[in-house]
Amino acid sequence: MPKRRDILAIVLIVLPWTLLITVWHQSAIAPLLAIRKDDGTETRHETGPATDSKEYCSQDKDIVEVVRTEYVYTRPPPWSDVLPTIHVITPTYSRPVQKAELTRLANTFLHVPNLHWILVEDSQRRTPLVTRLLRETGLNYTHLNVETPRNYKLRGDTRDPRIPRGTMQRNLALRWLRETFNSNNSQTGIVYFADDDNTYSLELFEEMRSTRKVSVWPVAFVGGLRYESPKVNAAGKVYGWKTVFDPHRPFAIDMAGFAINLRLILFKPQAYFKLRGVKGGYQESSLLRELVTLSDLEPKAANCTKILVWHTRTEKPVLVNEGKKGFTDPNVEI
Amino acid sequence: MRMRLKLKTVFVLYFTVSLLGLIYALMQLGQRCDCRGHDMSKDQQISQLRGELQKLQEHIKTELNKKTDVPKIYVITPTYARLVQKAELTRLSHTFLHVPQLHWIVVEDAPQPTLLVTDFLAASGLTYTHLHKLTPKDRKLQEGDPSWLKPRGAEQRNEGLRWLREMGAAAEGKEAAALEEAVVYFADDDNTYSLQLFEEMRYTYRVSVWPVGLVGGMKFERPVVEDGKVVRFHTGWRPNRPFPIDMAGFAVSLRLILTSPQARFDGDAQMGFLESSFLQHLVTMDELEPKADLCTKVLVWHTRTEKPKMKREDALQKQGLGSDPDVEV
Repeated sequence: MPKRRDILAIVLIVLPWTLLITVWHQSAIAPLLAIRKDDGTETRHETGPATDSKEYCSQDKDIVEVVRTEYVYTRPPPWSDVLPTIHVITPTYSRPVQKAELTRLANTFLHVPNLHWILVEDSQRRTPLVTRLLRETGLNYTHLNVETPRNYKLRGDTRDPRIPRGTMQRNLALRWLRETFNSNNSQTGIVYFADDDNTYSLELFEEMRSTRKVSVWPVAFVGGLRYESPKVNAAGKVYGWKTVFDPHRPFAIDMAGFAINLRLILFKPQAYFKLRGVKGGYQESSLLRELVTLSDLEPKAANCTKILVWHTRTEKPVLVNEGKKGFTDPNVEI
Repeated sequence: MRMRLKLKTVFVLYFTVSLLGLIYALMQLGQRCDCRGHDMSKDQQISQLRGELQKLQEHIKTELNKKTDVPKIYVITPTYARLVQKAELTRLSHTFLHVPQLHWIVVEDAPQPTLLVTDFLAASGLTYTHLHKLTPKDRKLQEGDPSWLKPRGAEQRNEGLRWLREMGAAAEGKEAAALEEAVVYFADDDNTYSLQLFEEMRYTYRVSVWPVGLVGGMKFERPVVEDGKVVRFHTGWRPNRPFPIDMAGFAVSLRLILTSPQARFDGDAQMGFLESSFLQHLVTMDELEPKADLCTKVLVWHTRTEKPKMKREDALQKQGLGSDPDVEV
């Protein structure tokens, strides 16, 4: 018969180790559970986990790396403690070229260090296509959705725009940023609005990283010109806009032509894109005029003489051979 | 008695140490890392940021170069000067930068290499070969022509093949052995490629095939596979072509290209028969290797970019007030 003392001794030896192993195991599993939970919820104004995005992502990455097969995507560059985070807000909506657009956009973003992609779907629920795509890229992301009410959606007829496309989605992302980062005012971050069909050079992201308030640069293929650009004087200050289409707008600049320091977004919590009654081309101004004045603007891209972003548009694919009933297998995702 | 006492002390000591260690570990896990920036002078900050950036970029490069024992992929891209050219090449290069052992062969439709493409390739960070071959006037699409009127890029792709064959003939020893394993892919500069596609095509013995999205007037075209072999093609347009497959839907092993010197693209081929004019010299349908989960996944899309509207630019240029032509777009 083993003595009581011996049993006690064995328990005392084994107990700390079992506790230790359980705790380590828990710490590895908990974030994985958090991801799974997210996919189950269905509320309209979906918000991502309100944790410090950096920690959330580094743990997530370790697990995802183990789980996925080797060749699918190259990991983004390791997170740096020093570089300001670039929060890229991209509104998107379902159409045949969506997956292609998001794929090549992700391929670009995977080269940018400290990038946080806020993808906002114009849909009632977050779609499996986008959910899966985001997860597989390995990028640091937040997946949101809000549906533009039907009578506000841009009908093919551009003569009568109701709400410019993407407005509600961009505003939701701004709201998410304000809810996630409101406590700590020393957060370094830059906010950039990137549509899913434009083309971005890698240099652009490094130019915008040093934004103090709002920085601006030229954009190609907008306003019916080779490029539109801010006018910069000899002192390096913006004093006007080199555009043909309504150059007297407060901010005659395309959505892809400016970036805002996160601190400014948090400092002015009432600043949003105007939803209704916005004339064509004035959407950017509706937000910027609440944040800065012309003299505050910081010109980038060699004093606004280089093109680092192109407002490309993708042709709508001709799907005439699908016919009324659909020719191809609807279960194959494109 | 003494022995027992000693053992007891050992146990107690052990238990205390383990417990302390456990508490310490728990505290470590519970802590969030403190990432507040310090107050540094501007110059210090800038140089530190620059250093960080360089470090990260180096890291990316070394990660990619580590994989040297996989077959090389030679990507032939014909390109021509137009407004969106630089944008297209830029985003294409971003995709290619992720693919290990990729060699980009860019062939311009021009009488000589242009400065735009030369500078672009030099700054891209990719391994590349820059060629050029002008399409003869009678084969070239004119301003008002619809894009489907004449097959495009045939001469440029043939020039790429010519360069590969020249390199193949000159290679010896280890280099020649590596060429035996390599793969050739024809990638147009406006399509969209997923990274997985390149890993699918990397191990091709003769010709491998897969579905292509948004082409042929359908959501996707694909080879139909039965018992691991391609039996026919699912396409909505002229399915009776020898190979009703898009340029982006197949890859050819370099070995096959080097051993079939007569295989080239026929610039005079009927619309839609360009791919067939090349492939019929190389394989029969049952020799095709189906990839992408037996041709059930779409890993490449035949996207096309709109021509940007230049009405205002044209109007300004008539007045002599056009945008600065020195600014490269």
